[in-house]
Amino acid sequence: MVVTGEQANTEPALPLSGYRALDLSGPMGVYCGKLMADMGADVIKVEPPGGDPMREIGPFVGGQPGPGRSLYWLHFNTNKRSITLDISTSEGAAVLRRLARESDVLLETEPSGYMDSLGLGYESLAADAPGLVYASITPFGQTGPYRDYKASDLVGFAMGGYMYVTGWPDTPPNKLWGSQAYHTASNRAYIAILLALYHRMMTGQGQYIDVSMQEAVAATTEHVNTTYNYTGESAVRCGFRHGGQFVATWRCKDGYASITTNTRAAWDDLRAWMDRDGMAGDLMDAQYDDHFVLRGEHSAHIEELVQAWALLHTRQEITEFGQSNHHPWGPAATAEEILGNEQLWGRGYLTAVESPDGVSMVYPGDPYRLTEFQQPVRRTAPAAGEHNAEVLGGILGLSAEEMERLSA
Amino acid sequence: MELDGDAHKNGLALRGIRVLDFTWIHAGPSATRILSDQGAEVIKVESNNALSVIGGPASATARGLGQRHNWNAGKLSISLNMKTAQGIDIAKRLAAVSDVVAENFSGRVMPSWGLDYDSIRAINPSIIMLSMSGFGRTGPWKDRVSYGQTLQAWSGFTQLTGFPDSDPSGPASAYSDAVGGMAGAQAVLLALMHRARTGRGQWLDVSQYESLSSLLETLVLDMSVNGADAVSTRTGNRAPYGGGAPHGAYRCRGEDRWVAITVFTDEEWRALVDAVGNPQWADDPRFATGDGRERNADALDALVESWTVQHTAEEVMGRLQAAGIAAGVVQTGEDLSRDPQLKERGFFRRVPDHQGEERTIESAPYKLSRTPGSVTRGAPAFAADMTYVLRELLGMSDDDVEDCAIAGAFD
Repeated sequence: MVVTGEQANTEPALPLSGYRALDLSGPMGVYCGKLMADMGADVIKVEPPGGDPMREIGPFVGGQPGPGRSLYWLHFNTNKRSITLDISTSEGAAVLRRLARESDVLLETEPSGYMDSLGLGYESLAADAPGLVYASITPFGQTGPYRDYKASDLVGFAMGGYMYVTGWPDTPPNKLWGSQAYHTASNRAYIAILLALYHRMMTGQGQYIDVSMQEAVAATTEHVNTTYNYTGESAVRCGFRHGGQFVATWRCKDGYASITTNTRAAWDDLRAWMDRDGMAGDLMDAQYDDHFVLRGEHSAHIEELVQAWALLHTRQEITEFGQSNHHPWGPAATAEEILGNEQLWGRGYLTAVESPDGVSMVYPGDPYRLTEFQQPVRRTAPAAGEHNAEVLGGILGLSAEEMERLSA
Repeated sequence: MELDGDAHKNGLALRGIRVLDFTWIHAGPSATRILSDQGAEVIKVESNNALSVIGGPASATARGLGQRHNWNAGKLSISLNMKTAQGIDIAKRLAAVSDVVAENFSGRVMPSWGLDYDSIRAINPSIIMLSMSGFGRTGPWKDRVSYGQTLQAWSGFTQLTGFPDSDPSGPASAYSDAVGGMAGAQAVLLALMHRARTGRGQWLDVSQYESLSSLLETLVLDMSVNGADAVSTRTGNRAPYGGGAPHGAYRCRGEDRWVAITVFTDEEWRALVDAVGNPQWADDPRFATGDGRERNADALDALVESWTVQHTAEEVMGRLQAAGIAAGVVQTGEDLSRDPQLKERGFFRRVPDHQGEERTIESAPYKLSRTPGSVTRGAPAFAADMTYVLRELLGMSDDDVEDCAIAGAFD
């Protein structure tokens, strides 16, 4: 019997309470699994015997690798359960097939064709579990000439078109901090999974989802494709000047500050302040009245003046002046400033949690607030195979001997 | 809305869902485009006062026009003057027949129209309201103003992105808006599922600051456990916590041409050396182990680049991929438009705009086998759908419409 969310007869505690997902993903999908688990799904991380290789990704508690010490693992696997299972054996594959029948979602990031080779592809599993939503994330998708190409986060970011435009004209193209190509693929996959689950609520039908990391990145660049497709020019790197527009970040007295002159009022307030400091040069002239002037032929001249002026002021001065005049100005925060951030604590986004080993940790929260729900971190990440008995025994009714043999 | 099982067999997961969409610029419209692709009827409420904003109906630049189509394809457009009582009244009547109301104004705007969540819920008890704001609608910063770039700076992304020895670059574009758009769509979908299970709507308070912060991975966790000093800051193209070399962008033949290459395992390293033609430098004992390669990554990068500069980025990608190594061209906008993979998968679509002119838009970056979704036209012309919305949907008479017009409700 499939226990699905739709049939849950109790009040759902969280949006995905009652749904079960098998998470076979690596770094490309682990955030998608987290998004499901944090919203209440029973996400079971299926790890190879000995534990998932992601357990060896840093940073580590105290800088030292070891069991339970990977903060990468602890972050991306909150609220998940863990089983160890070698799906490359026929016995392990048979267990996964049985688990799929008791699940609503399967998420995997194997190379195209690998799951089929184990008899665990969508068609095969859907024969037993027609309601299954089966999501595959690959670097380039399941079809097309690059379907077997390999990619890391960096390569996905490059091929998706975001990297060429990131960085300064005199630096190599740059990636964003962190593994944002992976997370973008995960974010997109999660949207597709939710669409499929909603469709299933209406029809009972499951389906197969093919997510391409390259496309996920390409659909996230904002201006790369629209610029080329509508002007015939490729967008270029311009650092934090955001396409040389009126949205820009500047070096200031104690770091960097973002000064967006999105309105005439913001531009007038900026140049009037520069003028009061005796640093406006000729910017008070009428020829600079239009705030779109920063895009035009005078942009280099204006940038030079604004940059020289910005060095006179601190991030706080710039922020306070801008915000008190309703302009979107703010500081470039440093990492240390985030941990003490009053807004992130004030809304309950940051939460203090104690690890099973007694380490106090601060966890970031969910990307959005659904006001019908409380969304606490309910459980830190599981140890490898921590829930073998619960899952394999409890859900599938395997005996202790069978479980022992499977996880050996 | 009635749930019509048959409609869902037509390849659209959200057919029958209506979204009253007050969002503008980037984050909000990109969220509702995700819904519109799957058959939701998205009614954009536009205004004569905001015609030329980015993605507005009279976008000032070619790029703005592109963004108009890319984030608003398939939607409907009406013009309402919310400074008139009649305009507000029509908005309320539309909220009464919608499933979702979406907005990304600052916190003062919707309440000033009597369209805050509590007021809308009084009209339509199961409404789902998506409010997307910079910092969320609660907390000490709830009234602060932001653009995508402001949030990127304030979240740490700007400071963290770039090479250690130059100014940070931050994201090149409004990553924050794209992330906010994805978060907004996810929140709506979760709320639609909850409504289908319980009959209840809810208010979705999306802080784009939090959506973006949630992509900072282990940053907060690491600082809380190991102290602020332990945190990796700008690492250029290297993985923040190690784990591979070479790992970067390498210059290739041609003007500003680059290839991204990443090697993690010894097996990949040997394959790289073989693909490069077993150069002498590869025998350097410094590069014999993964740790050694990471420790000497600067020297290794220079040597790898001494090979890549002799070839086009496409040649390097082809040769290394054939050897099983993750390598890819650092693609420009032009490269993407010609990319054979994107072409084969139909990533870019040409759809007609309201004048029949073909416009290029991006497709959803996922393929759903039963509900592939569909987008058959570009963004609507400004106020193109007044007749449908006022007459068919709200059943207004000619006289009603005329009275409202005289009162300036559509100006």
